Amino acid sequence: MSTIPGIVAVNTFREAVRDRVLYNLIFFALLMMAAAVLVGGVSIGIERDVIVNLGLTAISLFGIMMAIFIGVGLVYKEMEKRTLYSVFAKPIQRWQFLVGKFVGLLLTLVVNTVLMAIGLSAALFYVTRKFERGDATIAVAIYFILLELALITALALFFSCFSSPILSTLYTLGIYVAGMFSPDIRDIGMVTSSPVVKALANFIYYVLPNFHNFNTIAAAAHRETIPLALIWQNSAYAGLYVIVILIAASAMFSGRDLK
Amino acid sequence: MSASNSPRTVRYALLTIPVLFILIVVLQGRIDASTAPLQQEKRELLIRSGPLLKKMSLGYDSLVADIYWTRAIQYFGERTRNQGANFDLLGPLLDITTTLDPRLMVAYRFGAIFLSEPYPVGAGRADLAVDLVKKGLQANPDEWRLYQDLGFLYSIHLKDYQKASEAYLEGSKNPKAQIWMKVMAARLAQTGDAIETSKLIWEEVYATTTDELIRKRALEHIRALNAAIGLKRLNESSEEYAKKFGRYPTTIQELRDAGFVGGSLQDPAGYPYVMGENGAPQLNPNSPIILDPDQNKPLQ
Repeated sequence: MSTIPGIVAVNTFREAVRDRVLYNLIFFALLMMAAAVLVGGVSIGIERDVIVNLGLTAISLFGIMMAIFIGVGLVYKEMEKRTLYSVFAKPIQRWQFLVGKFVGLLLTLVVNTVLMAIGLSAALFYVTRKFERGDATIAVAIYFILLELALITALALFFSCFSSPILSTLYTLGIYVAGMFSPDIRDIGMVTSSPVVKALANFIYYVLPNFHNFNTIAAAAHRETIPLALIWQNSAYAGLYVIVILIAASAMFSGRDLK
Repeated sequence: MSASNSPRTVRYALLTIPVLFILIVVLQGRIDASTAPLQQEKRELLIRSGPLLKKMSLGYDSLVADIYWTRAIQYFGERTRNQGANFDLLGPLLDITTTLDPRLMVAYRFGAIFLSEPYPVGAGRADLAVDLVKKGLQANPDEWRLYQDLGFLYSIHLKDYQKASEAYLEGSKNPKAQIWMKVMAARLAQTGDAIETSKLIWEEVYATTTDELIRKRALEHIRALNAAIGLKRLNESSEEYAKKFGRYPTTIQELRDAGFVGGSLQDPAGYPYVMGENGAPQLNPNSPIILDPDQNKPLQ
């Protein structure tokens, strides 16, 4: 029973590979090569910063696009093609199917991100000719991007349980953008003198997934030390949030009439 | 188990969501504490060019201007709360806001006050405030209130009474301008830094502003100036007393008994003035009034 989500996950990963999802790596490789060659000619003294900023931003953007656009179709596509019925003809529960789908897409994103990280490292080495201890922050930033992608995948999957791909994309993107502005929402609560607005701003701040927590691209570019505590705190935060969203998705999907 | 759903498992799982959310809130608090040192003084303006932002806003300039104005207020509020924080981004934020929407009067008028108030109450950059108001006048030449603000900045913060008088006079030429603009221009040209003139200017600010913080600030200044006027009169009486009796009075009561002063000898907060050394009248030590409110405290 416990291997069922694993089987679904592996199949989801295979399907993504078959769909040539990893072709985005070619674009990333071209971008990194062009940046590595051009950066020396167009920037003075910030070559490393440009490569790190560009590379991490590209990893994040490519990952987010994949998580959203594939995630929103995970359940919907199965229903459209009517393959869901043959899946549920087997001894599989709906939550297991969802967890499998989630893990499968996350696996795809991890493979994609790791390959892009290798590309970024190569471009960085080409520009700086050495690795330094401070470059370890880049690995932490990439790990945080993966946590962010896990959250986005869970959100996309949640919406795909009850909505069309277009609407699910809009919902997920909306929550992502709002989550990026979390600190501003909290600031509104701090500045206002209205207790109602303050309470509302605080409520939204804590309920919305805070994507700003995972943004350490600037810190990586400037070789700043990221507190160790932040690594486990962000991991636990993303983990808990993903569990909450998957439970809600399972509840939504379980109550849905598939006939 | 067939293709059935599993309501019981899911139902139990749903019950854990409130607990999980409590953990999330606690974790978020910890994350805020961990990231606080990374965030400090790192607020950055990614794009500092107003014209570029105007193009990027794809015709929604005024909406983006509103957002930037909100950001400017948030930034100002946050900076005044944090002791020792600088106001480096206030000028650029206001510049971008007014480039995006040159008719956003509130950004010029309140923005100028935020910029000009002495540090740490404000940015202490009266020069930038003057530039901002002049920019406003270029885009809105009919707004006589901006001339009032310009006169205010020149007289109160830059102590350039000639330019202040010119600003009030220029503004008074607008048919919509209030009559006191002319009065102000004349008084500044005649008396310069007289306390009474400063009081008149702050009284106009108090009467015309709709912002509670600025109103409170203006009231503090008015009370301080009234106290200063009271002290000035007592000081003059003390000098006259010394001329007549060959020594300075040791108490305010002595002045009163000698008939040099009469009526209420209290400051605007209701505290009686006291006599200091060498016959120099002073504020009561218990009085909440501070003669220079700019040295007092940030806006609350």
